[in-house]
Amino acid sequence: MSLFLVVALPFLGALLPGLMNQAGRAACAGITFVVSLAAFIGLLTNLPAVLAGETIKASIDWIPLLGLNFSLMLDGLGFFFAFLILGIGLLIIAYARHYLSRNDNMGAFFTYLLLFQGAMVGIVMSDNILLLLVFWELTSLSSFLLIGFWKHLPEGRQGARMALTVTGMGGLAMIGGMLILGEIAGSYNLSDILQSREAIQASPLYLPALLLILLGCFTKSAQFPFHFWLPHAMAAPTPVSAYLHSATMVKAGIFLMARLWPVLSGTPEWFAIVTTAGLITMVLGAVIALFKHDLKALLAFSTVSHLGLITMLLGTGTAFGAMAAVFHILNHATFKAALFMSAGIIDHEAHTRDIRRLGGLRHLMPITFIFATLAALSMAGIPFLNGFLSKEMMLEEANHTVLFGSPWLVPALAVFGSLFSAAYSFRYVGHVFLGPKRDDYPTTPHDPGPGLWLPPVILVVLVVAIGVAPFLAEPFVKMVTASLLGEAAEVPKAYFKIWHGLVPALYMSIAAVVGGLILLAVYRPALRLWDAAPRPEAKVIFEALIENVVKLAQGLILRSHNGAFSRYAALAMSFIILAGYYAWTTGTVGDATRTLQPVTAIAVAGWATLVAATIGLVFLHRNRLLALVFMGVIGLMVSVGFIFLSAPDLAMTQITVEVVTIVLLLLALNFLPKSSPIESSALRRSRDTVVAVAGGLAAMGLTYHFLMRDAVDQSISAFHLANSYKGGGGTNVVNVILVDFRGFDTYGEIIVLGIAALLIFALTEALLGGPVRARLLNREPDMPQAGDAHPGMMVVLTRVMMPVVLMVGFYVFLRGHNEPGGGFIAGLIVSIAVVMQYMASGFNWAAARLRYPYHGIIGAGVLIAGLTGIGSWFVGKPFLTSDFTYVRIPPFEKFELATAALFDLGVFLAVVGAVMLSLESYSRLARRSERPDTEHPIDIDPSRDDPENIMKAGG
Amino acid sequence: MISADLNIILPEILLAVFAMLALLGAVYTGKDKHATVLVWATSAIFVALAFWIGSTGGAAQVAFNGMFIDDGFARFAKVTILLSAAAVLVMSAGYMERRGILRFEYPLLIALAAVGMMMMVSAGDLMALYMGLELQSLSLYVVASLRRDSAKSTEAGLKYFVLGALSSGLLLYGASLVYGYSGTTLFSGIIETASHGDMSVGLLIGLVLVISGLAFKVSAVPFHMWTPDVYEGSPTPVTAFFATAPKVAAMALFARVMHDAFGGAVGDWQQVVALISVLSMFLGAIAAIGQRDIKRLMAYSSIAHMGYALMGLAAGTVLGVQAMLIYMAIYVTMNVGTFAFIMSMERDGQPVTDIDSLGLYSKREPGKAMAMLVLLFSLAGVPPLVGFFGKFYVLRAAYEAGLAWLAVAGVIASVIGAYYYLRIVFFMYFGEDREGALDGGKSPVLWGFLMASAVIMVVGIVNLFGIEGVAQAAAMTLVN
Repeated sequence: MSLFLVVALPFLGALLPGLMNQAGRAACAGITFVVSLAAFIGLLTNLPAVLAGETIKASIDWIPLLGLNFSLMLDGLGFFFAFLILGIGLLIIAYARHYLSRNDNMGAFFTYLLLFQGAMVGIVMSDNILLLLVFWELTSLSSFLLIGFWKHLPEGRQGARMALTVTGMGGLAMIGGMLILGEIAGSYNLSDILQSREAIQASPLYLPALLLILLGCFTKSAQFPFHFWLPHAMAAPTPVSAYLHSATMVKAGIFLMARLWPVLSGTPEWFAIVTTAGLITMVLGAVIALFKHDLKALLAFSTVSHLGLITMLLGTGTAFGAMAAVFHILNHATFKAALFMSAGIIDHEAHTRDIRRLGGLRHLMPITFIFATLAALSMAGIPFLNGFLSKEMMLEEANHTVLFGSPWLVPALAVFGSLFSAAYSFRYVGHVFLGPKRDDYPTTPHDPGPGLWLPPVILVVLVVAIGVAPFLAEPFVKMVTASLLGEAAEVPKAYFKIWHGLVPALYMSIAAVVGGLILLAVYRPALRLWDAAPRPEAKVIFEALIENVVKLAQGLILRSHNGAFSRYAALAMSFIILAGYYAWTTGTVGDATRTLQPVTAIAVAGWATLVAATIGLVFLHRNRLLALVFMGVIGLMVSVGFIFLSAPDLAMTQITVEVVTIVLLLLALNFLPKSSPIESSALRRSRDTVVAVAGGLAAMGLTYHFLMRDAVDQSISAFHLANSYKGGGGTNVVNVILVDFRGFDTYGEIIVLGIAALLIFALTEALLGGPVRARLLNREPDMPQAGDAHPGMMVVLTRVMMPVVLMVGFYVFLRGHNEPGGGFIAGLIVSIAVVMQYMASGFNWAAARLRYPYHGIIGAGVLIAGLTGIGSWFVGKPFLTSDFTYVRIPPFEKFELATAALFDLGVFLAVVGAVMLSLESYSRLARRSERPDTEHPIDIDPSRDDPENIMKAGG
Repeated sequence: MISADLNIILPEILLAVFAMLALLGAVYTGKDKHATVLVWATSAIFVALAFWIGSTGGAAQVAFNGMFIDDGFARFAKVTILLSAAAVLVMSAGYMERRGILRFEYPLLIALAAVGMMMMVSAGDLMALYMGLELQSLSLYVVASLRRDSAKSTEAGLKYFVLGALSSGLLLYGASLVYGYSGTTLFSGIIETASHGDMSVGLLIGLVLVISGLAFKVSAVPFHMWTPDVYEGSPTPVTAFFATAPKVAAMALFARVMHDAFGGAVGDWQQVVALISVLSMFLGAIAAIGQRDIKRLMAYSSIAHMGYALMGLAAGTVLGVQAMLIYMAIYVTMNVGTFAFIMSMERDGQPVTDIDSLGLYSKREPGKAMAMLVLLFSLAGVPPLVGFFGKFYVLRAAYEAGLAWLAVAGVIASVIGAYYYLRIVFFMYFGEDREGALDGGKSPVLWGFLMASAVIMVVGIVNLFGIEGVAQAAAMTLVN
């Protein structure tokens, strides 16, 4: 049968039991059995070819770009595992049919079981390691569902969680390992990777790859230090335990180690890690198993121990070790699955799995007694049972293994582990079946129907058959070993015999069995000793570890992500400074192309003022008014700096913008307390100081560096200087850029400016229309205010200045095209003149004299600018192309008329309107009920004779 | 001349015009009464545009002297952006309506953000880049604080705005340095001066600052700090939006700048990008472990995912960009489904975001729990779900580009990160059925998106819907 079909059958069949749930338990189990059987037969049809040493392959493209192909292969090793999976699977299905109670959802159970079976078969038959990964995680997923099948049991939940966490994460780690393997080999196909032993072992990434893959294998196969999840997964229904946790899933890790054995093994790293982990697991599992009172827990830890044994054998890296491993996998699968099923039968019949409440069952359950005893004795390593044979081989191999330079360490520990292994096996027989019959069983047990005992009996028949006639298994095991070893090593010549002569392994085996019997004899004192001894409970450690990691993560994160803004900014800034430093040190630095200018007294004085104001601002920023003053000084010095660096246009813009923004901030200060409270700790301030100083130094260094060098060969300034007059008709390059070269941008900008002003107006309206209005009107100033808000001197002065300032504005506007100035600056100047009227004479007085609404002015500005642009269409030129000519109106000199000036007028109007509208909006917010504005411009006017005036003057 | 240019940006123009007209129309008529209609209309337009853009093949075109580039890469990103934005919009309608926060501006702001994002991925010039970025960001600042009566939402918006402004400032500073030292703002001009081994300090610092600004937009460590706060504070549909389309746009823009403008200096930015990638992956994985709020958790999850996408970018190869595109497309699909689920989490009509409330959810809603299980496994990158393919692509790209350490680090981070995804699964299947469990959440729209997303995660393993070939073609137009 095609390999695809063998893998696909369980998956396709998985739909059936779920759909047939209504048809009854027998139908569900029956269809599952049929599906499995079909796959099993399909597998067997390939047996002749496999026995002939062929590797059967089948492949279809899946995602070839990624290197993922649906490639399957079947060689001896794969066949061996697939045989175990499907063969034991059949027995388990038959067993589960009778084991599960009426309340359990049969359909779901068998669906999960088939999914799992399919995934397992997929793992062992994958030829592509990515495909293998896919099936690998599918087993995690389906086993998660199977383990958690009995959700009502709290330990079931625990177990499922641990199993999922540990194996799931291990599987993810393996992705990395597979990636490295595939990349080194240049293909993700196993058959190619298996050829690349030298390349892989020589790669510097061999160790990371090995670690990542072993992480996956060890977690899956419950090797130390990940051994703890397996016993806790035992809350699952017993068929699941028997299938997943003894025969199949936990062997997936072993399988992968065996599969990759030819390329990964043989290095010191492999030997040290795998052998050590296996050895520790073997001993630890065996010791713990002896002192467990739950039948399934005992078997679980014994499974852990035996998996350790197999791992250790694979770790030795010798061909004989590999063969012993293969043989033990077979033997363990048979006797352990049988034992699990016997434990399930006892649980099913006696309703307890506690060994202390059992005993004497041989009288009540003779059949169970016989097969369970045979299986247990095989586990203990008694001759004429298969466990003896592979254990002999293990001890033989241990004898030749030198770990950490000590030739006796491995043999001694192997004997020690075997001793405990024998002890718990004997305990399983002695404390459960032997002894006197008791009268306090939860329910009186008796042998179940053949549905439950037949499957394990079939396995035990195998146990005995191989034990008595090992030569029957020899060709098969050797064939599997050959395909495991690949071309890395020859199959050893050893023969499978019960009697090898008086070899050391035999003495070790005898010592283990006798020691086991003695240990069981002194079980009670030993148990007391065990209970008294402090021992780390892996589960507790795991939980504590997780909890601490969570706490650590929370601590780290809550501390750095506490919502504090300054922290975020500090972190980001620090990183940028560091990144900048990296760039600074790795970039190429050309020689300085400019020389330092001589230091003049004026420059130094300006610089000193600027620095002093900045430092003053940092230290005195809590006094908000003072801070504003400092900001004014800084702005002023920057403007002076522009003049000093020959940028009068910038200076004029800067200075006017400065005035407007300071006025704006003053209005805002109205709503704020006089000083900011101290909220930051000294620690935070020092952190901020460090970041700020570092940032400042970095900026200084950069600036110095850039000022000393020409940025690019050809600066864009040259183009503008050359074309400003020719193309734009003006000699003030900045203005020409604004109104001509980039007139389109300016046009957009004035629109944005206008929209912003309108938005401020709209927000103000919304605020004043809502409940905030009352709060604004009735707020208490935090200090007494001067009675004379509109002093006479100020009123007189601003009114006298008004026409002068307007004239200046007009002048600046006109000269803009050729000299520093222009519509933008003129607009700001005019705005300042008008604002002064508001400030001096009061809002009402000024507003009453306003003839055109500000939004109208904005609109007019935008309109004029737009029409100017459209005008150029009429002369057949694109939007906003400027033109200029010279006219002469006597008695004036000849002067220039440019359409750009018209455009500039639009800019001017938009600026005036926008600035005034926003300032007016803010000041409307600032009005208070206790001081209603009068219509009089001057608060105290001796020429006026109204009561309010008299009252104020008197008060 | 100009009409040819306008033809190329026709989709953007149409969307912008629609947004403005709809805004005006709604203001002068029923306002919020039209909100639902507008949501559906906007998403319909998104979908239509996506199909239009997706079906236009052909060679790369440039408009406005190279400031705007319409190539395969941009089209791939635009289709992803538009479709995910449409999905999130449709999902949010019911949720917001029930809670009375559906304003007619919402779909229009999203539409404007989409215009910005389309501009970003097509930017061929630093100016165009900045325009697109700001149009998108400004729209997002506003939608973050859509719940004006909620202090958290307002705080989220403000925080996002201030930090966003900071990052924009950085970006501008960097852009001006780049301009100063290359003499042009056009990417095609910058690439001629920026070559590895010969980067002047000015250009390099400009590059670093641009990267910092972009890293903020994709919320990569250490510019990620806003993400959890904003994700938690914003209304859930808005969070869903943040987690999808803008991430694609920012990532695509990142790739665009790195390859189109600095493609000759891969060695110079590779290390920086690799560093923020590895930091993001680990911080995202570790930080999410302790979270109880699923929205905050998703914030850290998105930080980690951006780390993986950046890994693809750090490779600096065609495969890397292809991997990144695939990763982002998959990530967005997963997130749409996950957020559909989060939006359906409610009790007594109130939204719940506490993970504990999911205790034993599988018993009450087996279908939804199963879908969520699939999505979470996919987010964790567990094979064979589609999320695994995305992750494997970036890992491979990084490995083949000589960044094996980054790939290994990514694997380790994904192992750590799996813990918190699996924890949610555990809660749903084995948690305790305590008080305060979820009820309701029976919206068919959300259910549909959740299921569709989960089904895609499963069915997609067949051939990833052929996306890889498209992504490869798209990547080839970017990297040369």
